[in-house]
Amino acid sequence: MNDAVRLQLEDFSLDVEVGAMRARSKRIGGIAAFLGCARDFSGEHEVCEIAFDAYHNMALAELSSLRDEAIAQFGLIDACIVHRLGIVHAGENIVLIVTGAEHRSPAFDACRWLIDELKARAPIWKKEITPQGESWVTPHP
Amino acid sequence: MINVLFFGPVAERTGARQIVLNFREGLRWQDVRDTLRARHPEAFKIVSIVAVNGQRVGEQDTVPLADGAEIVFMSAFSGG
Repeated sequence: MNDAVRLQLEDFSLDVEVGAMRARSKRIGGIAAFLGCARDFSGEHEVCEIAFDAYHNMALAELSSLRDEAIAQFGLIDACIVHRLGIVHAGENIVLIVTGAEHRSPAFDACRWLIDELKARAPIWKKEITPQGESWVTPHP
Repeated sequence: MINVLFFGPVAERTGARQIVLNFREGLRWQDVRDTLRARHPEAFKIVSIVAVNGQRVGEQDTVPLADGAEIVFMSAFSGG
């Protein structure tokens, strides 16, 4: 079984992660998911791929803390966070958050909260690689 | 030994992902920053977050480092 919080080079599957969550608990009545994807355009530039770097140990610990906080704060039954590292090509998956609760409202709220907090708290950086060159992305809301 | 790590844009500006410094009694993370900032001023222009042994620290944290400590100087995060 996959860990509920992961940083990985390889792609992931929304269906697999949702299926795993459903298999772990039949008390879940609502599942929300956020899937972040690599765009092929940013600002005025075509983007070929995105390179992700991370302070792996701290990032993993931070994502685990976020999961624990979300479960406690929103009364979730389960949550899953997967973030890719290394090279991600345009159109591919970057990050997946899946939240499961008894009802839809806490699942939606927790999902939004988790991606916002991940962006602010997880030591991960991305560099856009374009035909014109490479540049590290400045954080934005 | 003090193990200093860099990632992402800071690593690119220092040209290194790791620098090892000699340990001495009473050394604080601010002393390490001052030493490395003099060597890599462009990198430290974008440093806004510091972690010692995986925990974020601030200017108010002045506890001396232990031998073997890991310090990471980081720019603002941009994951997700």
